[in-house]
Amino acid sequence: MPKSVFAGIKVAEFAWVAVGPQTSRYLADHGATVVRIESHTHFDLSRAISPFPENKPGLNRSMYYGKYNANKFNASLNLNHHRGPELAWRFINWADIVIESFRPGTMKRWGLDYESVSKVRPDIIYVSTSMQGQSGPYAQYAGFGSMISAVAGSAEISGWPDRMPSPPYGAYSDYFCQRFLATAIIAALEYRDRTGKGQWVEQSQFETSVHMIAPLVMDYSINGRIASRHGNRLSYAAPHGVYPCKGNDRWVAIAVFSDKQWQSFCEVIGNPDWVKEARFKTLPGRKENEDELDNLMAQWTSNHRAEQIEISMQAAGVPANMVEKNSDLFEDAQLEHRKFYVRLNHSEIGTPVYQQQADFILSKTPRQITMPSPCLGEHNEYVYKELLGMTDDEIADHIIDGSITTELPEGFQFTTNF
Amino acid sequence: MGNHQEIDSALVPYRILDLTEGGGMIGARILGDLGADVIKIESPGGSPSRIAPYYKDIPHPEKSLFWFAYNTNKRGITLDISKVDGQEIFKRLVKSADVVMESFEPGYMNQLGLGYTDLSKIKPDLIMTSITPFGQSGPKAHYKGSDLTAWASGGYLYICGDPDRPPVWISFPHAALHAGAEAAAGTMTALWHRRKTGGDGQQVDVSMQECVIACNFNTPEMWDLNKVDFTRFSKGLHVGTQGVRVNAVWECKDGHTVLICQGGVQPFINSMNELVNWMASEGMAEDWLKEMDWEKDYDASKLTQDAVDRVENAVQRFLITKTKKELYQEGALKRRILIGPINTTKDIWEDSQLHSRDFWVPVKHPELGVTVAYPGPFIKLSESQIKYRRRAPLIGEHNIEVYENELGLSREDLAVLKRDMII
Repeated sequence: MPKSVFAGIKVAEFAWVAVGPQTSRYLADHGATVVRIESHTHFDLSRAISPFPENKPGLNRSMYYGKYNANKFNASLNLNHHRGPELAWRFINWADIVIESFRPGTMKRWGLDYESVSKVRPDIIYVSTSMQGQSGPYAQYAGFGSMISAVAGSAEISGWPDRMPSPPYGAYSDYFCQRFLATAIIAALEYRDRTGKGQWVEQSQFETSVHMIAPLVMDYSINGRIASRHGNRLSYAAPHGVYPCKGNDRWVAIAVFSDKQWQSFCEVIGNPDWVKEARFKTLPGRKENEDELDNLMAQWTSNHRAEQIEISMQAAGVPANMVEKNSDLFEDAQLEHRKFYVRLNHSEIGTPVYQQQADFILSKTPRQITMPSPCLGEHNEYVYKELLGMTDDEIADHIIDGSITTELPEGFQFTTNF
Repeated sequence: MGNHQEIDSALVPYRILDLTEGGGMIGARILGDLGADVIKIESPGGSPSRIAPYYKDIPHPEKSLFWFAYNTNKRGITLDISKVDGQEIFKRLVKSADVVMESFEPGYMNQLGLGYTDLSKIKPDLIMTSITPFGQSGPKAHYKGSDLTAWASGGYLYICGDPDRPPVWISFPHAALHAGAEAAAGTMTALWHRRKTGGDGQQVDVSMQECVIACNFNTPEMWDLNKVDFTRFSKGLHVGTQGVRVNAVWECKDGHTVLICQGGVQPFINSMNELVNWMASEGMAEDWLKEMDWEKDYDASKLTQDAVDRVENAVQRFLITKTKKELYQEGALKRRILIGPINTTKDIWEDSQLHSRDFWVPVKHPELGVTVAYPGPFIKLSESQIKYRRRAPLIGEHNIEVYENELGLSREDLAVLKRDMII
């Protein structure tokens, strides 16, 4: 069994919800020891987000939280308790990497900001991810991925030209911000290994997001063109779209880029008369008559099943894919081949599936999911005693005074927001 | 390492041969930003990724803004690896490389004798990162890819759009960009492993399909746990426990904005309180709205569609009176309402936060006689700072530097290679 990539790397995670936790999952899934640090008085709000098994909410029942936190330990404390920061310092002194996603200024309130931490641990890799960065007029901007997707441009360019934008569903920007952040963190590890120096890795999710549409912003600043939305069309391909198929809300995506692919496409659909018309023979012609083209396509696709179209188009070398539903994904043979879904036992959720965090497979040290997502404070004893080296008496003191939290406040009602 | 790299950068010891095309090129760009010596290799005559939009709308391969954006911090050479002579030269380049990144169809590099097995014989510690629509192997590995079909294969396309129309994607090829960024993360993981083992290289196999699945928010889990097959919701969000739809996209005075009216927990409770206060200060909040307890009355597990509709009708009537700027400055910044105006590229260019952080970095384009403003570092690093050392390369711009100065070919050798269309 090869030693896993990040064996021995220790991550203290103070971050919440999506970007931070997903980022540390890359490390955890390749062997790092990652501890989520939460609190019974102030727990990660993603615990309040569905789905819950049988739609019954509970502190440890969210698989939205679950998805981001496989392979991690969980310790609970109360940072607002006067002895909370003392515990946080133990984590900081233990860790190689500290990750936080609080509102800028929050960690400073507790004396846990980069300046303070790096005085004691100049080799620490301190990671802050926030909506708009640690400085500037909007540093305090509150929001989530859906807001950043709006502010950073993905929303405006999604949907149909004759309607309001239809933004990418959910917290879209979260799902590329973490790729950039994970890369930067490992680069910081590399730098430290060579020089001994730690550093502050600071992400403004807004700034990272602009890179996903950089050419379009430059098109405005240089050419004055404001990018708009085009449905499923693409300027250099036709047909290019999503067409209705037989069955309940079934669709197929087809993209034809070259004349060769167009000819193959025509053969697959049986060379009907309309494809022989001069106006459809070339790409410019197909673009000019795209409405009619799309109608004719839809007439054909409506009589076929999406999977069948996908198979016959692909056999002819034409890019096509049925528009997979979530239920299709769980039966997808390709994903099974890549072991994308791993089912594990969870003490409160049952046997949920965890999907891979890394969307790459290393040939010698592949991604692994071996631990389900943790319950709140589940590993307090292991973490405080074994990882941080505290004595039983020290731990007991903290539990007695409440700086280590062990249960929800009395009379607490678990409410959900989503 | 030459004068083309910052001494004090994270990845200064590494050289990357970049064969990627399309959005996947962002991967090597990210590593170049972090300090690696990236050599972008394109076929003689230029890469097919030199696409629109163009500088001043002049459709010319040396004026592609797409190329500019995703190949900053790279040097550039031409090489035809489909020819035997080109393959020999590539192998010579591999001798001094640490990483090869590519996005060809699975098996293509093997066919050329340039697969991982071949190259690792030349350089045992080599890392070979491959980006494909479905991965290097498996029942769909041979599928022809595209950005739209990748979006379809990952389940995300299905859940985006309006119920009365087909599912709809983003009007810019993002699947490849996701995969490129993922390739950077995977390459770094492999580099760390190599470092810790004193030279164990390996392959990094990136799947675009998987990258797209990552975007599905909580919907795959909705299927796995409760067999709810989520479908597109038209500019809203689905509250899992009650099946209620909350609105996400609203009209405002001069455009649109994202706002999600939620309660139950913080910071949503405060956000709604502040929104209602603002509405009340302008006489647009009726008593029932002012009396809402956003923790208890808007607990998602007890929400009804009627309650939501009532609140949202009131909110929409208010939002239509406000501009995006007002919602952003007064609403988001001052009152900490969870609101995000739907910005155009013009709004982003003019954004005050980005300007205050000096986000736009001027990069010289001597061939155009201008300086172009680029989006700045994707992340700030306090020690090994990201710097923009060079603009994206012209076709074959560094042929002499790489082939003559580094590989030791003569000017005559280069002339022959050019004549034979190897470079």
